[in-house]
Amino acid sequence: MFERRLHFHIDWAMLIAVMALCFIGLANIYSATGGPTGIYVTQIYGILLGLIALTICLTIDYRTLADKSHFVYGGVVLLLVYVLFLGVVRGGSRRWIDFGPLNLQPSEFAKAALALVLAKFFAEGRRGGVARSDLLIAGAITVVPLVLIARQPDLGTAVTLVPVLFAAAFVAGMPMRIFGILALVGVLVAPVAWKFALQDYQKERISTFLDPSQDAKGAGYQQIQARITVGSGGVWGKGFQKGTQGQLRFLPVAHNDFIFSVLAEEHGLAGVLVALGLYLFVILRALEAAALAKDRLGSFLVLGVLASFTFQVVYNITMSAGLAPVKGLTLPLMSYGGSSMIATLAGFGLILNVRMRRFTN
Amino acid sequence: MSVGEDRRRVALRINVLQWGAVAVFVTLAIGFWFLQVVQNDKYEEMAENNHQRTLALRAPRGVLFDRNGTVLVENRHSFTISIVREHSKNMARTVELLSHVAHLDPQQVQQILDRHRHEPSYRPIVVVEDATLGQVAAVTARRLDSELPDVVVEEVPARRYPAQAMAAHLFGYVGEANDSQVEAGATQGDIVGQQGFEKAYNDLLMGTDGAKRVVVNSVGREIRTLEEIPPIEGRRVQLTLDADLQKAAEDGFRHAGFNGAALILDPRNGEVLTYTSLPSYDPNDFSVGIDRATWNSLNTDKLKPLQNRVLQGRYSPGSTFKIVVATAALEEGLVTPDFKVTCSGGATFFGRYFKCHLKGGHGTVDMRHAIEKSCNVYFYTLGNMLGVDKIHKWAEKLGLAGKTGIDLPNEQESLVPSTEWKMKRYGEKWYAGETISVSIGQGQVAVTPASLAVMISTVANGGTRVTPHVLKAIDEGQGWKPVPAPAVADHTAFKPDTLAALRDGLWLVVNGSGTGGRARIPGYDVAGKTGTAQVISNQGRQAARGSDRDLRDHGFFVFFAPRDNPQIAGVIFAEHGEHGFLGAPIAKHVIETYFAKKEGRPLPELPPLAPPAGKDEDPDSPPALPAVDVADARGVVYGTVTPDGRFRETD
Repeated sequence: MFERRLHFHIDWAMLIAVMALCFIGLANIYSATGGPTGIYVTQIYGILLGLIALTICLTIDYRTLADKSHFVYGGVVLLLVYVLFLGVVRGGSRRWIDFGPLNLQPSEFAKAALALVLAKFFAEGRRGGVARSDLLIAGAITVVPLVLIARQPDLGTAVTLVPVLFAAAFVAGMPMRIFGILALVGVLVAPVAWKFALQDYQKERISTFLDPSQDAKGAGYQQIQARITVGSGGVWGKGFQKGTQGQLRFLPVAHNDFIFSVLAEEHGLAGVLVALGLYLFVILRALEAAALAKDRLGSFLVLGVLASFTFQVVYNITMSAGLAPVKGLTLPLMSYGGSSMIATLAGFGLILNVRMRRFTN
Repeated sequence: MSVGEDRRRVALRINVLQWGAVAVFVTLAIGFWFLQVVQNDKYEEMAENNHQRTLALRAPRGVLFDRNGTVLVENRHSFTISIVREHSKNMARTVELLSHVAHLDPQQVQQILDRHRHEPSYRPIVVVEDATLGQVAAVTARRLDSELPDVVVEEVPARRYPAQAMAAHLFGYVGEANDSQVEAGATQGDIVGQQGFEKAYNDLLMGTDGAKRVVVNSVGREIRTLEEIPPIEGRRVQLTLDADLQKAAEDGFRHAGFNGAALILDPRNGEVLTYTSLPSYDPNDFSVGIDRATWNSLNTDKLKPLQNRVLQGRYSPGSTFKIVVATAALEEGLVTPDFKVTCSGGATFFGRYFKCHLKGGHGTVDMRHAIEKSCNVYFYTLGNMLGVDKIHKWAEKLGLAGKTGIDLPNEQESLVPSTEWKMKRYGEKWYAGETISVSIGQGQVAVTPASLAVMISTVANGGTRVTPHVLKAIDEGQGWKPVPAPAVADHTAFKPDTLAALRDGLWLVVNGSGTGGRARIPGYDVAGKTGTAQVISNQGRQAARGSDRDLRDHGFFVFFAPRDNPQIAGVIFAEHGEHGFLGAPIAKHVIETYFAKKEGRPLPELPPLAPPAGKDEDPDSPPALPAVDVADARGVVYGTVTPDGRFRETD
């Protein structure tokens, strides 16, 4: 199954960039948590397990995986249902399955599973466009895990599934006017959602974002502190482990949601540009893989995986600078989190897989 | 649609995404550039304010020593508990929790916060002054748990004054700078001298506060110190006071059982050896901020413990004033010490009969014996010869009129009338009849105990009016540096005859058959004079009968010792003591202590309190003075002058 000459077609440049980002993340976790703590060690295990997942996703032909995608999707949905009733509660939400030393967060794997199943769905559809019925079906496929995740509640992760759907549909040829209509519906539905669907704490986060000073000690505190953290970094930063905001805990959950702020504080604009460059390089390389893919399935798969990744990266970095409402969205590859790391690296396994097999039949 | 067309469209849409991704990342980069480069200064400052805290290190005030190096006033450690609103996330919770753990009334805490709500939020608001160790421990424990991150415990030096409120009015007290002091240059929240020596020499005593810049984390815990400027303690200062004499005087008062004042000087240079005003307050109550209840009770107390009687109480000097009249008559050359007057128990001046206190009269007395016996008729005669302006002139020369110039705040002027004064004050001319009352210290004579102390010192040293002062030396870091005594206010060398007569007369008061016998110390030649001051005129006493005012007379005892080379001189004022001679035992105890100390003998102890003495005959009891008729040049009476100096026209 894994032919030796395929080695030559692995995108080593992207893989190196991905590993570099993991390393940057690890270094900042080390700094933010004050040394080789359990968190730091767990992250190393996460990266190692992620590399195994990456290898597995790389080895099996993506077409074979796509053929079995309904099993993968079904399995993830079952896990999500399980979590909803029997998951471990932490911080007021049920997101984890307890495996003793390791806690698995199935929602992280939902993204790759959804990308896989949607890629297969659109690839099998008619060429030359996406019918409305197709969109409805694809929408239904997306909504099931989305609702399950949102009920945990984990609105942030749930929302990352939406870009998967749109990216796949967009490249599959969804008419632009449907985007327009959806945008219009979104605007009309927003006030209703505000009133009925959002929890109080979610409303508070959004209203605080619009005016952080109205609650400078509460929800707005994190946003103000994030901005101070980034802004005080300057061009060259305060130095490794020398950041005051992160080290003295003015910045909340520095090793997790705000890992990029730590980078910005300690390594300044220089460090930020390096990380941004690496992320952009990875994204452009993946888009290239999508363009080079041998078949529609490959393109859609790459785009589906890439969509949630890119959405999360851009949102988290914007939030890290205090320029977006604070939401529990981690930064893929850099933030602390085993499940996220494994799922993200598995996703890159799929992207590398598509590119590597662009010449095979 | 062909496979090729489909591929082209996929490629096109991917191309759009590529450019989109580049655009998004460039935007992000610009965003970071804006925050980290353009707005860097602003955020750097905010980050610094976040984690750096400047704490004031209060400078201890200078320690006060007595003339022998005994510590009088020092500093102790005290703790204050304050709230820093800047770090508060939930003020209501902080108030509640703090009140709970420190056993405070939450409403009062809130009131304190409300009072200071206009101050900048980084400034700590003191909620508990001089916190107990229990309160400090309770709050500190909660801080480590970061339950009270907005509460700080600071160690501040507080003044410690001697026990039993010794010399309280001399030291004064300290307090937070008031608005006018802040306007004059003090910093808000500074502890500055508000009364007494603390106020007079505040600049010397205050020192310079230091500062400590520390790094704190998000829950306010101090992580490390960046910089520390140690506070500079105020100057150590030596006072002229002698703690042993001070104690002797206060013991004397306690023993005698009345309030009053004492100012005892070294007559050679004006150094204050003893300074007492009773009843007193405890300056320790003020050192960490006085509570409202104590302050109110001090202010409403009928005995006026806040009044500094030495400098602010003005009383009629009674017979002690005869020393001034005697000096004036001798120095003006009107009489010699041998001048004799025959006292038959009273005499008529300006058509009125003025009584002496001894019904049968003193017979024929000369100056020495007139002083000894305190003969009113003798001094009526001298006063009448002198006229009020000469009396005023000599009162001033001796230091009994005006201010003494002591280096303490809020001194009142002593008043000895003159024709000029009366014209200015009442727009009326002086009537010679009024001089008669003045010449025995009645009428409109109102002097402070301090001025009496200066007066007797001037007599003791032979005519040099010294300026009383309490500052003796300053330690500016290189040991004690003596401060030169203030300039002498006036200097007149008395004629030898004058001096001898005064000294003899005053010596006889104590050692002869005079009223000062209770101050007699064999071998030490104590000289002195008693005086009784009316609190209210005899007519007024009738009117005020039944009121709860204390109408008993005041007593004075002025003294010096030894007679021929005086080293100690002063005044004992016995408030409502009724008799001047009751102050004499206090003076005696102080003088005995002075000489015992000087000669290295054990200091005297007062015997246990004696049973109440029987009725004493007091020759200084003020006679009921008549009103004086005022006649014009042709002898037509057109009005009367009352003993207290008011003129009433005849109907």
